[in-house]
Amino acid sequence: MESHAYFPWFILLAPLVSAVLIQLFLRRSRELSATISVGAVCVSLLASVFVFFGPDTVKANEIPWIELPDFHVPIGVTVDALSKIMLLVVTGVGALVHIYSLVYMKGDESEARFFGNLSLFMFSMLGIVLANNFAMMFIFWELVGVSSYLLIGHWHTRDTAAAAANKAFLTNRIGDFGFMLGILMVWSSVGSVVFRDIEHNLRLITADPTYLTIAVLLIFCGAIGKSAQVPLHVWLPDAMEGPTPVSALIHAATMVAAGVFMLARISFLIAPSPNAQAVIMWVGIGTAVLAALMATQQDDIKRILAYSTLSQLGYMVMAIGLAAPGPAMFHLFTHAFFKALLFLGAGAIIHALHHEQDIWKMGGLSAKMKWTFRSFTAGYLALIGAPLLSGFFSKDAILAAAWQTNKLVFLLALLTAFLTAFYMTRLFVVVFLGQPRSDAAKHGHDGPAAMTLPLIILAVLSVVAGYSVIGERALGEHLWENVHKIHHGEGVGAVMALAIGAFVIGTAGGWVLYKGQAKDPILIPLFKNKFYIDELYAALIAGTQDLLATMSGWFDKWILDGLFVRGLSGAAWGTGFVLRFLQIGNLQAYAFLFGLGVVGLIYFLVFA
Amino acid sequence: MIPSLSLEITVLLLGILMLLVESFSRSDDKRGLAKMAIGILSALVGFSFFVDPASGNAFYAVDATAHFFKVLALLTTIVVLIMSLEYSSVLAKYLPGVTPGAGLGEFYSLPVFTCAGLMFMASAVDFLLIFVSLELVTISFYILVAYMRRHTASLEAGVKYLILGALSTGFLVYGITWIFGLTGETNLAAIQHALATKAVATTPLLFGLMLLLTGLGFKVAAVPFQLWVPDVYQGAPTPITAFLSVGSKAAGFVVLLRVLQPFLGVPGVGVKVLAVLALMAALTMLYGNLAALPQDNFKRLLAYSSIGHAGYLLVAVASVSDTKATFGSAGVAVAFYLAGYLLMTLLSFLVLIVVARHSRGDDILHFNGLAKRSPFLAFAMLTAMLSLAGVPFTAGFYGKLLVFAAAVQAGKFWLVGIGILTVAAGFYYYLRIVAAMYWQEPGDTTPITIAPLTRTAIGALTLAVFVFGICPQPILRQLKDGGVSAVQENAGKPPQSADGLRPWGV
Repeated sequence: MESHAYFPWFILLAPLVSAVLIQLFLRRSRELSATISVGAVCVSLLASVFVFFGPDTVKANEIPWIELPDFHVPIGVTVDALSKIMLLVVTGVGALVHIYSLVYMKGDESEARFFGNLSLFMFSMLGIVLANNFAMMFIFWELVGVSSYLLIGHWHTRDTAAAAANKAFLTNRIGDFGFMLGILMVWSSVGSVVFRDIEHNLRLITADPTYLTIAVLLIFCGAIGKSAQVPLHVWLPDAMEGPTPVSALIHAATMVAAGVFMLARISFLIAPSPNAQAVIMWVGIGTAVLAALMATQQDDIKRILAYSTLSQLGYMVMAIGLAAPGPAMFHLFTHAFFKALLFLGAGAIIHALHHEQDIWKMGGLSAKMKWTFRSFTAGYLALIGAPLLSGFFSKDAILAAAWQTNKLVFLLALLTAFLTAFYMTRLFVVVFLGQPRSDAAKHGHDGPAAMTLPLIILAVLSVVAGYSVIGERALGEHLWENVHKIHHGEGVGAVMALAIGAFVIGTAGGWVLYKGQAKDPILIPLFKNKFYIDELYAALIAGTQDLLATMSGWFDKWILDGLFVRGLSGAAWGTGFVLRFLQIGNLQAYAFLFGLGVVGLIYFLVFA
Repeated sequence: MIPSLSLEITVLLLGILMLLVESFSRSDDKRGLAKMAIGILSALVGFSFFVDPASGNAFYAVDATAHFFKVLALLTTIVVLIMSLEYSSVLAKYLPGVTPGAGLGEFYSLPVFTCAGLMFMASAVDFLLIFVSLELVTISFYILVAYMRRHTASLEAGVKYLILGALSTGFLVYGITWIFGLTGETNLAAIQHALATKAVATTPLLFGLMLLLTGLGFKVAAVPFQLWVPDVYQGAPTPITAFLSVGSKAAGFVVLLRVLQPFLGVPGVGVKVLAVLALMAALTMLYGNLAALPQDNFKRLLAYSSIGHAGYLLVAVASVSDTKATFGSAGVAVAFYLAGYLLMTLLSFLVLIVVARHSRGDDILHFNGLAKRSPFLAFAMLTAMLSLAGVPFTAGFYGKLLVFAAAVQAGKFWLVGIGILTVAAGFYYYLRIVAAMYWQEPGDTTPITIAPLTRTAIGALTLAVFVFGICPQPILRQLKDGGVSAVQENAGKPPQSADGLRPWGV
């Protein structure tokens, strides 16, 4: 291997080493754990930069792992345009969040555990990005689930945090089950789990379109879970129980983007199946609209951002369904910066206000928290698609792709853009403008440099990341071509005009309605209660699950336990008990049985 | 490059030196002796990688298989010596002696002789050398098993092992003479040559082979020659139990693989021998795993588990065939399984010795609440139990996977079926220990102290179980490249007749 082939392994191993060291030896030394964890992510970031400017090594950077007849799983890395940009996003945002956490988590009694889990997450996430086959991706996929569980439940003594961690893990498992079935379907028809081989032997699976559609949709289930699409979106808002840096890193910039990344990775599988594309598109736009509607009526600053994340992820998934992986990755790229920025900004506010998260108890923070306010403004404008900021360009590409494929979808996407501008303006106006509405808000102040600096860096990136100079370099030739084609396709002018219109109307509406308000002037219970989906699930679970539980309880007790388990284990135990009597401890008897055995076997071998 | 034989000679000299020091030293504390032996044996592991591959001859093969099993023998002996250090306080109680350290030096030196025997056996490709080295191992074990002379269980175990062992040796020698009578050869390569060129009567050959299998079946604890195992394992000093269950078994299997190959190609013989081995494998898996279910004593449980694992190893042996490729994959399965088995068995015995010393007993209930008393020991034992049961990402899982894959390749699906059923039974009794450690309240809450050397060994073994389970490829590739087979091309000189030139005047 040449030297550049080693860098991807450094990226992967640095956080692993950190996680192992902290878990095994450093549970009691907070400072050292934090330093090692930050150091590891910096190593990953540096190596990612080297990889980014290095050549693509799609081929032959792998070591064999499981070698069985008909089943080969290597541990290998893919370095191409797709993984390069994702590496930069994950390690870049990751590094900033690690530094920010140094301040945010200071004094937490389980700081070492927090940083250990953060390193474990980085390892798992980077594993997904670098994986060159489905099996490896699935393993890291599950590891991401585990580390997310650990981090959401970091304050596990709080019941809500523990419940949220469970909910996130279980909901993800539902999607992952489909993902696994999909992988097995692809493997059984192509005979390999390596992406490269699947792409080469694509005709084996495209021969049967129905089979392909089912396989792709099952794999998509994994993305529905991880990227929190309807109907498995319920875990993400609850996941905000975790520490805010975690929300920024995992539940805004990286982990939830894994679903979109995975879909982009297998876009060669999705492209031949129009039916699967349609499903993906509708799930995406459905999530975008519903989540935006829910966001308009939330009061918790982190929950608003969480619903906004859902909605933006919906955009990206929709773009995949529109056969536009370029714009999807472009939006993922810009969104990672401004959403991480918004979360970290929210974290700075929550930190300054002694863990107050209700926006109606804030207000007037623009004067008290100058740097937070300035950087937050940049993120806010980027998210709502203010012209000339990064979000504007990437969102525009997705809207144009929708316009060129399906006008109804475009209208819904435009509605989402309007709603985004509206609810974000509501948040912005209520939090930063007007008068302070609580004691805590009167004494707000900026955090120390380690907290503010990541905000400023992210703010700069949020502003500039959308320009084609950066976008083209970051996305690489192939993906950028996809974006470029859409940007120069039909109806671009109209799309841009409509998008700016949605932005202006949404912002103005939010401004007029919420300027100077001390409580919410409008109340839409349907949106506030998130379309009662949680209640629906609860009822569904209470109804069907209880019925099922009673039935399967009976089945388990009488058929499984009674017949199989008791019967079989009883038989086994009984045999064992009888066999024990052979072991009578008498030497003569042993010698006799020994001789008997010899005679028996000789008879069997020689004469039978 | 050093001649391969110098390794064994060094080990023998070390043993003799230890005996001399034991006889003439005035010091009561013999622990330094064991530590010196650990150091020298560790150094030999390193030296074994610089062996001259051309230093073999007609008696003595120098190949990848031999190297692999020699390293296993050395590592096992090192861990057994560490265990003996941990165990010496118990041992001293049951030894007749005036001074507290009397007799301990001898206890440390005998495993070294056993180790030399095991290493010779790994290279032996002539029935004479096989027999002599096997006896070197067995006779050291006779003494070691009965070493606690004031402990009736130990003495009883010693007598049982001696009598039944002598019986099995008788069968082994008798089998060798039959085969010598038929072919006029004792060298395995020469036997293969003779079988291919001369017409040999099938029935007497089968008879002789069955006698051989009896002797080796006793060593590996295969049904129906397993009856000695539970009593001897329970009665013997615990480090020796560990040594028996690992060393004796590994030796038996390496010899079995080497001895079997010349006969596989003989029409009417190879198929029948493999059928008998498959039958023994099935019975052994069933017996070991089912009889383990009702056990309450941990040492006895491990004895049955050791029988069960012999069954899985026999599945792989029964799946060999005379074509080189499949012999290779089954041989690799045996070697890998043995290596994994060594790690997890030594690990569980090591933890057992520490726990038994603090809890004053080796029943399962003495493990109650271990997780609260010592999370480190509990985790190590958890690792060992998961690996013995065959949970993925442990050495035990990958070993079983290879064994079953070899059986599938050989078309022995019924063996795989029985294997999977017995693995399920295995989960029950292995996880009983885990349940006791994690879900029961400790009877005694004093924290457990562990000596640094023991702690290092436990940590290293635990790590190795995971390394073998997560990335086994480097080890497997080593084994495959070396080509595990009975008679290597580079084993030295061409086949010679029995009365031909004999090196070092045998």
